[in-house]
Amino acid sequence: MSQLAAKGLGARRLATATPASAVAARRPTTTTATTASTSTTCLVALASRSAARRYLSTDEKTPKAASPTAANRDRGPSFKGQLMESITARMKRESATRERIAQLRQQSAASRNFSITFMLFFVGSVSWYLGTKFPRDPSPASTLPLSETRPPKHSTGKAELEAAWADFAEIVGPDHVSTLAADLDAHANSDWSSHQGDPTDPASRPFCVVYPASTAEVSAIMKVCHTRRLPVVGYSGGTSLEGHFAPTRGGICVDFGRMNKVLALHKDDLDVVVQPAVRWEELNEDLALEGLFFPPDPGPGAMIGGMIGTGCSGTNAYRYGTMREWVLSLTVVLADGTVIKTRQRPRKSSAGYDLTKLFIGSEGTLGLVTEATLKLTVKPAASSVAVASFASIRAAANCVARVVGDGVPVAAVEILDDDQMRFINQAGGTSRQWREAATLFFKFSGTAQGVKEQIAIVKDIAKRAGGESFDFARGEQEMAELWSARKEALWSTMAVKKEGDHVWTGDVAVPMSRLSDIIEETKRDFKQTGLVTSLVGHVGDGNFHIIVLYNDEERKLAEDCVHRMVKRAVEMEGTVTGEHGVGLVKRDYLPHELGETTVDAMRKIKMAFDPLCLLNCDKVIRVQKPKKGEVAEW
Amino acid sequence: MGAGPTLKRIDPNLMALAYAIHSQMLQAADQIARAIGQDNVSYDTDVLEHHGHSDWSTSNSPVRAAAVVYPRTTADVSAIARICNALSVPMVPFGAGSSVEGNFSQPHSGICIDFSHMDQIIAFHPDDMDVVVQPGVNWVDLNRHIAHAGLFAPLDPSPTATIGGMVSTNCSGTNAMRYGTMKDWVLNLTVVLADGTVIKTRRRPRKTSAGYNLTSLFVGAEGTLGIVTEATLKLAPIPQDTSVAVVAFGSIRDAAAAASELIRSGIQLAALELMDDVQMRILNEHGSEAVRRRKWEEKPTLFVKFSGTTDGIKSDAARVGEIIRGSAQLHFAKSKQEEQDLWAARKEALFTMVNIRPRGTEIWSTDVAVPVSRLAEIIDLSKRECGQLGIFASVIGHVGDGNFHVAMMYDPRDEEQKRAVARCVHNMMSRALEMEGTVSGEHAIGIGKKDCLVDELGQDTIGLMRTVKRAVDPKWVMNPGKVFDR
Repeated sequence: MSQLAAKGLGARRLATATPASAVAARRPTTTTATTASTSTTCLVALASRSAARRYLSTDEKTPKAASPTAANRDRGPSFKGQLMESITARMKRESATRERIAQLRQQSAASRNFSITFMLFFVGSVSWYLGTKFPRDPSPASTLPLSETRPPKHSTGKAELEAAWADFAEIVGPDHVSTLAADLDAHANSDWSSHQGDPTDPASRPFCVVYPASTAEVSAIMKVCHTRRLPVVGYSGGTSLEGHFAPTRGGICVDFGRMNKVLALHKDDLDVVVQPAVRWEELNEDLALEGLFFPPDPGPGAMIGGMIGTGCSGTNAYRYGTMREWVLSLTVVLADGTVIKTRQRPRKSSAGYDLTKLFIGSEGTLGLVTEATLKLTVKPAASSVAVASFASIRAAANCVARVVGDGVPVAAVEILDDDQMRFINQAGGTSRQWREAATLFFKFSGTAQGVKEQIAIVKDIAKRAGGESFDFARGEQEMAELWSARKEALWSTMAVKKEGDHVWTGDVAVPMSRLSDIIEETKRDFKQTGLVTSLVGHVGDGNFHIIVLYNDEERKLAEDCVHRMVKRAVEMEGTVTGEHGVGLVKRDYLPHELGETTVDAMRKIKMAFDPLCLLNCDKVIRVQKPKKGEVAEW
Repeated sequence: MGAGPTLKRIDPNLMALAYAIHSQMLQAADQIARAIGQDNVSYDTDVLEHHGHSDWSTSNSPVRAAAVVYPRTTADVSAIARICNALSVPMVPFGAGSSVEGNFSQPHSGICIDFSHMDQIIAFHPDDMDVVVQPGVNWVDLNRHIAHAGLFAPLDPSPTATIGGMVSTNCSGTNAMRYGTMKDWVLNLTVVLADGTVIKTRRRPRKTSAGYNLTSLFVGAEGTLGIVTEATLKLAPIPQDTSVAVVAFGSIRDAAAAASELIRSGIQLAALELMDDVQMRILNEHGSEAVRRRKWEEKPTLFVKFSGTTDGIKSDAARVGEIIRGSAQLHFAKSKQEEQDLWAARKEALFTMVNIRPRGTEIWSTDVAVPVSRLAEIIDLSKRECGQLGIFASVIGHVGDGNFHVAMMYDPRDEEQKRAVARCVHNMMSRALEMEGTVSGEHAIGIGKKDCLVDELGQDTIGLMRTVKRAVDPKWVMNPGKVFDR
């Protein structure tokens, strides 16, 4: 269709080009006609003038021979009379000619109008026909640079939105479309997001929140938005951190809250079919009854839809991989309301493009996920936890490198820095006092025998890497106690918050060998600013978070520090985001991490999926040239 | 672009997109020769034949490429793409030529790009456990080269396969049960797009959520979206210890049922393979000396591989024994030598089969995957149906992930037999789809399975794939005629 439209455009462009050429082609005839008529007028005028002169010149001679009175009497009218007569005659002739010419001109104007109209129409239809016969070649480029984008056109006028509201009310029922201020604010931004938009800007709030109950309803909603050109943002748990669900161009918010069911559990195939608003914690509670388990473990409160959107992970990623590895297939509603299913339920497949993984991590910019089939694994028979503290981050990181390099299949390995351990002690949320030093938390799982063996190996490695203490859990309760420190990390840093403070959770990842470098440099940098920070890391895969507390005056300071950390990660061949996603905050970092051309290729894909830019517009990649000064210096 | 539905299929006749004629292709080859050197372009008919036909494949096309070109750098490939795109000449990348669904044949002729000169290991980062390689690197060579650091790339397709092709078909093998498929082991790719633009999908972090996952999009795209010119692969530590056990069952259904029980037990097996009675008989009759040292029971047999720490293996093996106890007797390798011999039996299977095939017959080898719980049923049904054809037919499978292959030998001159085999394959596909499986577990789509892909995914999903394809390759010059039609 887009191609057809493009072709139509081509033909139309041809058509607009033709009037000029038609006029040009037409002009010679018109000009000859005008010259012809002008020359006739001239000729007539000349003829009459010379006739008059001849007449006058003969007249001039006669008066000399006779006396005026005699001549007057004998030869009819006097000279004066003759003069008047000739003038009158001449004027009559001239006005007749003028009239004739005027009449002539009148006639040609009409015919000219007619023929121009005809020519325009004719050339127009011929070029339209030729346009369909020989369409323009599509642009042979594989990428779409920002400079070639055209700003998306949405219609978010009041009348348009109200009409759309009526459509939505018909689809989901009026009870499930909300325009309450509280609802709109809750779907506009969150306190913990590092994106701080302008709350007075009406474009940063949705016009209404729609709560669909099925894939069919989502498809119908998208069809309405597509015809009416309304921007759409998908919303599930709302726990994302980089402004993923903050609207930038008004429009509507689709909240999947009512689509929160587990549709089918195939325990023999180790998979489960769920709707987007299922919470991963609740899912795991249900699965535990069957001895099964779904590994990705992002922030509490997160829902499957958003987890797919950001390609999330957590402490389990070292052993089990990220969300990308645990989704078998997706049902997705596309920008025009088409519903697709990326594949069926086999554990492995090499059939066609991997659309599943393309949608995972696309942050709702390519389609709205309405159903997901998740891979599951068997709950390990035994598990345990160990805690080891070290004199420095570097010593701890060395220990991790050894564990990873030896291939010890630990379930998770996390690092907390000395500041973080101090905050945990201060908050007092755990039942024991911790050494305020860089600390590693290990999780083990497998058979009872295997776990025992792993603990022994790790203990040995830790000792050789300069570990100052090593505790491991001997029972269920001790395990929970040891792991509680890791769990309380974020909340205990929040507990130090002063009135008016905000929290910023930075997230980068680097190749493992550079981890201690970047952590040390980043900590030093933050220390100099005097901001309160703590550090938590999924060190097994080179990913860590810095938690920064700042108030409104310190915003710039924090921003700059985080910016320097991101830059450092890119310079070390790392990534600007390990697991939080790009959203609004990190999109201008992408060209630096990936290269202009790679981002241009992503933009081309975005525009192919969603030519009107309706889906979570402006997130991940820019689709419109930024204003001057909008992009911060690298 | 217009406001209408974006994903409707456009009548191909409306698109002014014809490929270049033969003389223009030669002209392109000439321009390429000037860009990358005369020595790196070949018009030799034998070379063209070698790059256009495969004995392994059931989907060869009669058309050959106009020329074969041998780039040495990413810049060379970019120059080739620029020339071909400008002249609308199809480009078909060629790795080792071990694919089986006609993935590298050239139904629209064009230029074949052979990566045998791009076979360097560019950088090895043992501390980060990754390696940067060119597409022409053979995986066996790679693993030999990095073994000293205690690392390996845990993929094991056909021993001749090279990285470029492995990426493009999203290959796997016996290790997939434990380690996953190619997709899980590629950190980033450097790709040349249709118009010659070079992109690198990302840097080297082990995990990231920055932007669209282009890496996974190119893995398994069979060269239809871009040409891979460099790949960074994740590596895994070589397990401290391994062990192998074999167990024979009374029927294929019992064997498959035991396999799915093992999968569901959660024991971290390294591999779980199934060979049927026909395969076992071949081993006894035609196997290599090492394999024939043992008298194999000619019954459906499961091959179980363990890996990990020595103690871990012991406890895993004990649990496997418990699960299987009722139905059959487990035989463990008692020495490293025996372990190798046992596993060699599994590795040799396909080659032995090809070697003993009667003159004039061809092998139709195909693969499907289904959810684990349906595995026993589909293997049983497929085996029975193939058996009725009265020809050589055998089942061999990576049952650990619900994937298995059927190989049938048929006489290509016997039209009726050929039709019967085709029908049998077709039935197997529809059965796999009914069971919510896939028509290709690891061989990809190529030319051979295009129709099946439509059956599996439906027109709308294929329509979206087409949209992706058209976006990055508007002139449809990258390996045309594969995966799906325009």
